[in-house]
Amino acid sequence: MKITDACVCPYPLGDSSVRRMALEAGKLGFDSIVAIDAPPLEYGGVRVCPGILIRDPAAKDVISSVKRGRETGAVIMVQARDNGFNRAVIGVKGVHVLCGIHAAEKTAFDHVTAKMAADHGVAVDIDLSPVIGGRGIGRQRAIHRYRDILMFSRRFGFPLTLSTHARSVLEMRGVRDLAGLCSLLGMDEYDVEGALSGITRVTSPADHAVKVIG
Amino acid sequence: MTPRPPTMREKRRYILAKVDPAGTIIDQKELYFAVSDAVTSLWGDSAAAVVNAAVVAAEEGHVIVRCQRGTERELAIALSTVTGYRDQRLTLRLAAASGTMESLRARFRKPKQPAPAEVYSPDPGAENGEREAVFAGKKFMVAGCEGGKVDVIEKGFKNANRLFLTTEDLEVP
Repeated sequence: MKITDACVCPYPLGDSSVRRMALEAGKLGFDSIVAIDAPPLEYGGVRVCPGILIRDPAAKDVISSVKRGRETGAVIMVQARDNGFNRAVIGVKGVHVLCGIHAAEKTAFDHVTAKMAADHGVAVDIDLSPVIGGRGIGRQRAIHRYRDILMFSRRFGFPLTLSTHARSVLEMRGVRDLAGLCSLLGMDEYDVEGALSGITRVTSPADHAVKVIG
Repeated sequence: MTPRPPTMREKRRYILAKVDPAGTIIDQKELYFAVSDAVTSLWGDSAAAVVNAAVVAAEEGHVIVRCQRGTERELAIALSTVTGYRDQRLTLRLAAASGTMESLRARFRKPKQPAPAEVYSPDPGAENGEREAVFAGKKFMVAGCEGGKVDVIEKGFKNANRLFLTTEDLEVP
């Protein structure tokens, strides 16, 4: 099982090089990180998976971006928006993670979207940056939204991923810190374990022995 | 006033945290305000009163934060939400918890083994003994170097942001 920080943003998006982030991640207890717009590499015993974060375009533009991304073998993450957009994106083959759900509108993720995510094996990202760096109502909203997502995940069984969206090594947090922060969301240690290995689940899904059709 | 007998004193625990980035000068009082703000905003006033957090020592790049016994978890979670103090960005990496400050001090005062290999050697031709580095075609001043890690600050007065790199990221000038 790989323990992965599902999204970090190295230089030039942030102020830390991808190697430095890998080095820091190793010290903090991670086996791998998903680095946006970074080449695949292994440094300091930590595997760096390249990631693509698609944000803002219309649903049909997402399809072409995903097609391009699939050729590179990167982890493809799409920023959540309204409910219709999220449902459309979850149905696109090649999308691995739906992220930024805390910033989307309240009705962006409902039971139908949750069922679709479970059926298509798309993970929902728990971005802990608003919990770490946020204060007041912003943090309260994020915690409330994540509690809602957790409830759906337990009911429908879609994977979760945990990320810090760190733009600097100073924004990265250790595995224990993440477990502590996740306890605020109502996650127990098994939930945290599952979420830390969520990237492995979506990038190399287990083949079902029997597939029921019709 | 006679001191309270030991059995009637409050039971306390101490948490050791390493301060990142290395070389940050810590003002204990200012950091106390940052920690107190983090605890209060996360857990509320009533829980913050129970935790009773205080920064009791700041030395050699480490800080020791005191709390009531049984509230270590709450304090540890709150400490992971500290992102800066004054105008500086910093992070507190939790290292250990103990019942005495001395045992925590013993942890970071251990004689360190020299880091193997990768030690960045400064440019011998640098002015005023300042160490220079080149990254992404720009010149930087080396602010800190530990093992394979190199912290650099861009030269000039316009952009004083710190970049966090490794020795392998640096280009040969």
